[in-house]
This record gives sequence, C-alpha cells and structure tokens, in this order.
Amino acid sequence: MSLIKTENLSYVYSQGSPFQVTALDNISITIEKGEFIGIIGHTGSGKSTLVQHLNGILKPTSGKVFFEGTDIFKDRQTTKNVRFKVGLCFQYPEYQLFENTVYDDIAFGPKNMGLSKDEIDEYVLEAASFVGIKKELLKKSPFELSGGEKRRAAIAGVIAMKPEVLILDEPTAGLDPKGRKRIERMIADYRQATESTVIIVSHSMEDIARTVGKVLVMNHGKAEMFAGVDEVFSKIERLPEIGLDVPSITRIMLRLRSLGYDVRTDIYTVEQAKDELLFLLKERGVL
Amino acid sequence: MIKDITIGQYFPGNSVIHRLDPRLKIVLIFAYIVAIFFCKNFQSIGLMLLLLFVTVLLSRISLKLIGKSLKPILIIILITSLLQIIYNKNGEVLLEYWKIKITTGGVYTAVFTTIRIAALVLASSMLTYTTSPTMLTDAIERLFSPLKIFNINVHSIAMMMTIALRFIPTLIEEVDKIMSAQKSRGADFESGNLAKRGKALIPIFIPLFINSFRRAYELAFAMECRCYRGGEGRTRLRQMKMALRDYLAFLITTASIAGIFVLNHFFAAVI
Repeated sequence: MSLIKTENLSYVYSQGSPFQVTALDNISITIEKGEFIGIIGHTGSGKSTLVQHLNGILKPTSGKVFFEGTDIFKDRQTTKNVRFKVGLCFQYPEYQLFENTVYDDIAFGPKNMGLSKDEIDEYVLEAASFVGIKKELLKKSPFELSGGEKRRAAIAGVIAMKPEVLILDEPTAGLDPKGRKRIERMIADYRQATESTVIIVSHSMEDIARTVGKVLVMNHGKAEMFAGVDEVFSKIERLPEIGLDVPSITRIMLRLRSLGYDVRTDIYTVEQAKDELLFLLKERGVL
Repeated sequence: MIKDITIGQYFPGNSVIHRLDPRLKIVLIFAYIVAIFFCKNFQSIGLMLLLLFVTVLLSRISLKLIGKSLKPILIIILITSLLQIIYNKNGEVLLEYWKIKITTGGVYTAVFTTIRIAALVLASSMLTYTTSPTMLTDAIERLFSPLKIFNINVHSIAMMMTIALRFIPTLIEEVDKIMSAQKSRGADFESGNLAKRGKALIPIFIPLFINSFRRAYELAFAMECRCYRGGEGRTRLRQMKMALRDYLAFLITTASIAGIFVLNHFFAAVI
C-alpha cells in the first residue's frame, strides 16, 4: 500500500469570483514509504498548494487525498490526526514562532498531540539535536535568535511531532550559502536517522537534484513529470520551457555538446561531470 | 471565508465611472445619499433609483456582485420594514387582526425605508468598487485640505489611511498563512469553549503583531530612503483634473436632485 496517494486532485482559488485561479489541475501521484522527493516548479505552479493538501490544510475542490489508504477528509478527527503524521513546514517558518522560549515553541506540536510531559521533553530534545539547536538556546526567546537559528528552531517544531512524512516548503529560501548547506545536511541526516519519507519543495533544480531520489515537476498546476532524477534530466530540454533553470554544471555539458564534444548531458552534479570529462579526455588520449 | 467580504473592495476597471475624478465622486455620492431622504413620492425616488441603475450599468460591474453586496444588510432591511409596518398607524387601514393594524402609511414607509437603505449601501459601495484606495485617500486629502488652517495635518492622516488600506489584504493573507502553519502543528481553532478558543488565538496574534511591527519599520525605512519627509512641498504623479465627463456627471446628478424637488411639488406626497 502506498503511503500518500492523490486522485484527480484539483484546487481552485476564489471559485466563482472574478479572481478565480486554478492552482491544481487533476493531479494523481503516489508516494511510497521512505522516498525522498523534490517538488519543483516555477513561482505559482502550484507546489505550495499541492503540499497543503497532503496534510489536510486545504480541502480539494475535487478529487481525493489518501494517507495509508484512508481518505484524509473522511471526518474531522482523521484530518486532525493526519497533520501529526504528515509534518508540514511552511515557507519562512520563522515568522510563525510565538512562544516565550524556543523550548516551548518546539513543544507546541507535541503538546497538541496530547503527550505526557516526559514524552514531550524527549521529543523536543531529539528534534533540537537534529536541527543543531544547542541546549542553552532552548531557554532563550525565539526572537533573540539569529535568522538561521530561527529557521532551524521552526523546522524543529515540525520534526518534534515525529511525523512519518516530513514536508519542507522552500526550507533554504532567503538563507546564505552556509545556512543553506547546513539545512541541506540536516535534512539528509534526519532522513538517514529516522528513515522517514521526506518531501522538499523548491524552485531551484540545482538545490534539489543533488539530494533527492525522485522529482515531481509542476507546471501551471499540472504534474508535468514525476520520475527519478536521472529520467527527469534525460528530458533536460523541457526544463527551460516551463520556466525552470538548468543547473550550471548541466549547462556546461550542454554547451560542450553543442561545440561538438560527445558528452552526456543528463548530468547534474560536479562529481558526475568530473568523471565524464576525465573519460572524454582519456578517450581522446590527452591523459 | 474572510476573503468573501465585498464591501469596501475595489474592482479594477476602465469604465467611465472608474475614470471619474474621485473628488467629484465623493461629493456627488454624498449629495446623492442626502437627496434620497428628500424624496417624498414614488416618482422622485424612482428618478433616484434610475440614476443609480445607470451608474451601475456604466461601471460594468456584474449585477451578481451588486446583489452579493446587498446580502449582509438584508436582515437590517427586514427588521426595520417590519417595525414600520407594525407601528406606523397613519393612512387607511388595510388589515386588522387582534392588536395588529396594518395601514397604507406603514406599508409606504416600509417600502421607502427599504429603498433608502439599499440605495445608500449600493451608492457608497459603488464609490469603493470603482475607486482604488490610493485614489480615494488622495481625494480625501484634497477635499479636507482646507482643514490645514486649524493646524490639522491632513496629509499625514491621508497617508496613514492609504497605508492602512493597502495592508488589509496583506494582513488577511498573513493570518491565513499563520493559521495554516499552526494548524499543521495540530492547533485547533474550531472546537472547545469560548475561553479555549480565545487561548487558541495566541499563536496567531503574537506572530501577526511581531510581523506587523517589523513590516512597519521596513516600510518607514523604505520611505525615508526614497526621501519621504511629509506632505510639505510634495508634488503628485497623477494630478487630478476635471474632464468633460466629470462636468457631465456633475450636471446629470444636480439635475436629478433638482428633479426631486420638482417631482415632490407636482405629485402627491405618500410619506
């Protein structure tokens, strides 16, 4: 049985008014347990709208969403429970911090789950250590933290619910390269330690290609492609058409090919490019 | 939910009504609302309704939307009409049942009140439907500029109004976002007693206030960076100038208002 499944999912904003917009158009996807998925698409392609359906924040205009085979909108209790199993971390989550201390803010989710005090303590400390928030920071007010720390504290607030699926909407947006790297590494570590399903939303192919296993490409509310990273990159020419950037290293390979060198173009990491170029040089007898 | 409220909203367009000088629009609509209360018979109030109907048609705003804007006042209209019918004892008796006496005077007043309230709401919504918030505050600033002699800083007040209006949709969007984020962490805004629900609002309002202060600072800095220093000696990109259509609108409205008094004179008053 698949973990998450959407069936002909459609969503229309402000239906019936002059401002009506179709944000999602007939999306049917299946996500298996343990997968690491990246959702990419241009601004306004429906990425954020889609993930808000997966934990029942938005109710589809038509179509269904299943979690472990049950319709998540079956009744209110089901919807509420799904929110603890599918942890969704919104874009710029640091603007949603509100408690007196970082500890209390991270504990907000576990508290709502109705756990005991000891369990809450255990969940919070574990989440804080995942995101690298030191113990002394937990006693501080969340508004005293630096930008990157706030972001990590906010992510910890979602991880602390121990969700089976973790969805992060643009987790690195607005951070410097160091902060970005730190969060990327943190997500990878988290996935390895918990073996949970992780979904990352991004508008940058470059950020996503290195880490995830499968990519969902969104375009104008439609699921354009949903396949392994290699397969998506084999159709690389399609990306600029739907407003997505091709990673710089891939652009170099495409350029080399257009100059007449016989190189592979389904390459998206510097590692792969190095191997390919060394191979090419050897073949030509340069090395 | 919150997004469905249409009163005070602006619907961009390019109709004649949209392009009228906003200062004139405010004055004319004010005069119109006062004039409605001078109508004494069906002929004169009919003339006012015709004027409003023509304005609505010219503005090209869908009639469905207009109908929607009247929905919230339906209850007020129903209650006032009912009270008029029951308590007004003037004119001929139409129906008598136990202690309730319905008279022609009561029915007429009820009809007139209904028309007046509806026309009042519709006319003022037409102003906001067809005038962008910035135009509106600009016009208010101009209209109230004589108050400067009383040392009232009209410009600052108008600027504050513009900013407040500008940020209403932003704040609504933000509340929506924060609510979704806290719901994702299992917050429950829909069940429990009043105290519990009130407490559930804390996770929404604290971030909202903090973000608003942050935004206010950022906006103030951005305005200073662009050399904003109050209204003194400030010129405008859009100079308001009366055009032919404005004079025509003025003429038609004043003629209609004059028409009320003529009709009141020649036809019997029913109210």
